[in-house]
Amino acid sequence: MSLLELKGVKKIYQQGKIKVPALRGVDLIVEQGEFSTIFGPSGSGKTTLLNMIGCLDTPTEGEIRLNGNKVSDLSRKALAMTRRFNIGFVFQSYNLIPVLTAYENVEFAIRLIDHTSELKVKERVLKILEEVGLKGLENRRPNELSGGESQRVAIARALVKEPKLVLADEPTANLDSKNAADVVKIMVKMNKELGTTFIFSTHDPMVMEYAHRYINLKDGMISADERRG
Amino acid sequence: MFSFKLGLKNLTRQKRRNVITILVIAFAFFGYLFMDSVMGGIEEMSFSNIKNYDTGNIQVVHPEYWKDREKLPLENLIYINQDIVDSIKNLDGVLGVSPELRFKANLNNGIDEVSVLGLGISSEQYNEVFATQNYIIEGSMFSTGESKAVIGVKLAELMDLKVNDYITLLVRTKEDTFNTIDVEISGLLNAPNPMINNGVVFVPLDIAQQGLNVGDGVSLLALKTASGDEDKIAKVLMDSFKNKDLDLKAYSWRESAESVIAFSTAKKGGAGTILSVVLLIGMIGIVNNVILSALERTAEIGMMKALGMREWEIVFVFMVEATGIGILGGLAGCLIGFTGVGLMAKYGFVDYSAMGVDISEFGLPIDKIYGTWNYPAFSFLFILSIMVALLSSILPAYWAAHKDPVKAIYHR
Repeated sequence: MSLLELKGVKKIYQQGKIKVPALRGVDLIVEQGEFSTIFGPSGSGKTTLLNMIGCLDTPTEGEIRLNGNKVSDLSRKALAMTRRFNIGFVFQSYNLIPVLTAYENVEFAIRLIDHTSELKVKERVLKILEEVGLKGLENRRPNELSGGESQRVAIARALVKEPKLVLADEPTANLDSKNAADVVKIMVKMNKELGTTFIFSTHDPMVMEYAHRYINLKDGMISADERRG
Repeated sequence: MFSFKLGLKNLTRQKRRNVITILVIAFAFFGYLFMDSVMGGIEEMSFSNIKNYDTGNIQVVHPEYWKDREKLPLENLIYINQDIVDSIKNLDGVLGVSPELRFKANLNNGIDEVSVLGLGISSEQYNEVFATQNYIIEGSMFSTGESKAVIGVKLAELMDLKVNDYITLLVRTKEDTFNTIDVEISGLLNAPNPMINNGVVFVPLDIAQQGLNVGDGVSLLALKTASGDEDKIAKVLMDSFKNKDLDLKAYSWRESAESVIAFSTAKKGGAGTILSVVLLIGMIGIVNNVILSALERTAEIGMMKALGMREWEIVFVFMVEATGIGILGGLAGCLIGFTGVGLMAKYGFVDYSAMGVDISEFGLPIDKIYGTWNYPAFSFLFILSIMVALLSSILPAYWAAHKDPVKAIYHR
């Protein structure tokens, strides 16, 4: 069973009286442990596709299955629970909570699914922060962290609950090349060590070099889907 | 609970705005507590005025007289029997008994005439019940049998009278014939009760009884009792009158002062209106705060939804923050209120007499108005501040939490 299956997924936005198609029928299968990149020009539908996969939005037409479960017609509450337990997100602009420390930003995600042991939670948060190279920076707030460090916190937040799937929307767009490379290396490492499936949208050729699969999106449709290695 | 912790931590964001909201709530609460204290002070002084200068704590009257008392009739009078007076005076809790003969009169100074309330009193007994004598600012109180009178300064000013001037009281006797009582002014009063200053002429009881031809009749017996014991003593008196087969009734000052009590009730309505305004201010402050926070944190709300937080969990975060503001506003309001009311209770509101303003014309005590403590108002307001903050944050918080996650994340 594939981790993710999309069949004929269409998304049409209504802007006043005009219908704007963002996805025109996407078929896609993603297996567990893949490290895939979705690329394409602006307006090609990359973010929309990630939102569909991430259960943040529902398709106008078509079917999405996550772990074999149909998620394309779930209620808001059910979609929230699917996101909570199965999906991690990394955003271009980090979206960290400014009043929380790096530790607390990561703790926040795990607290949503684990209400049991304080010690267990602490161990897990510290471990993931160490793995993304933030040991010693746990008590810093986002305004005391660099862009690269902030994105590492965001990655740690996405990974701490050990989701099956991590979606990253242009995760390196706000970073310099060194920090971008570091962030991608962390994701590659997590993909190898934890077997987490990564799908990210990007324009960055350096990021694409690390991917196993390239999905080229053009005008809301997959125009190319290539695998490497 | 992490959401609770996050709500509390959010209180440290937008410090200036939060502090302004807290201060707005605090000053609205202070305004209410201050007004409540002033109104309480005015009420207490009004009640004290009635008891100490007008009715005494209890009035003993003939029930038929009581019905017509506003008309100041000379019918259904009490005919003084010293045994009755003594038996009342010897009751536990009764501190003084003063017979009064109340009558309508026209005061004539030889040129002008004005309608007044005549009050025949026995000065010694009157002093046991009322504090009026302390306010004689010129001359002195008369003694029994003297053809003298004491009047208020306002009335003296109006009629251009001074001590040792002679006045004539034109009255109707019990038989409804005209008569006059000629008296010399022995003293001028400036009592805290405006009615006494403006329209009462005190004369010795025996002189009034003679002039009105009522024999030993008096309109009522005014009693002084320990404050708060009125109802208990009135009941004992009623039982005693019933046992002795006397056609008399005892009424507490509250029953004599229905209009003031009505004012007091109206005051509570006024306080309710002020309270509503205060709550509205608090609500607007909180709603404004939550909406602005939600607008500023749209992307953050989107991220929370992406993490899988449910709407009620996001609502809870905002509610904790809003309730925190309510608690802090309530605490600050109570603190400022405690200081303000404390100062007002100790030093008084405004010293009108020092300013040369006579507020007795407005039916208020002559000098300062002192605030009163209303401790339940503090706890009530504090609890209310929490409730208002909690409830008024629900809708805007729900509005924030209900945002479409995609639009929220990308701030569209």
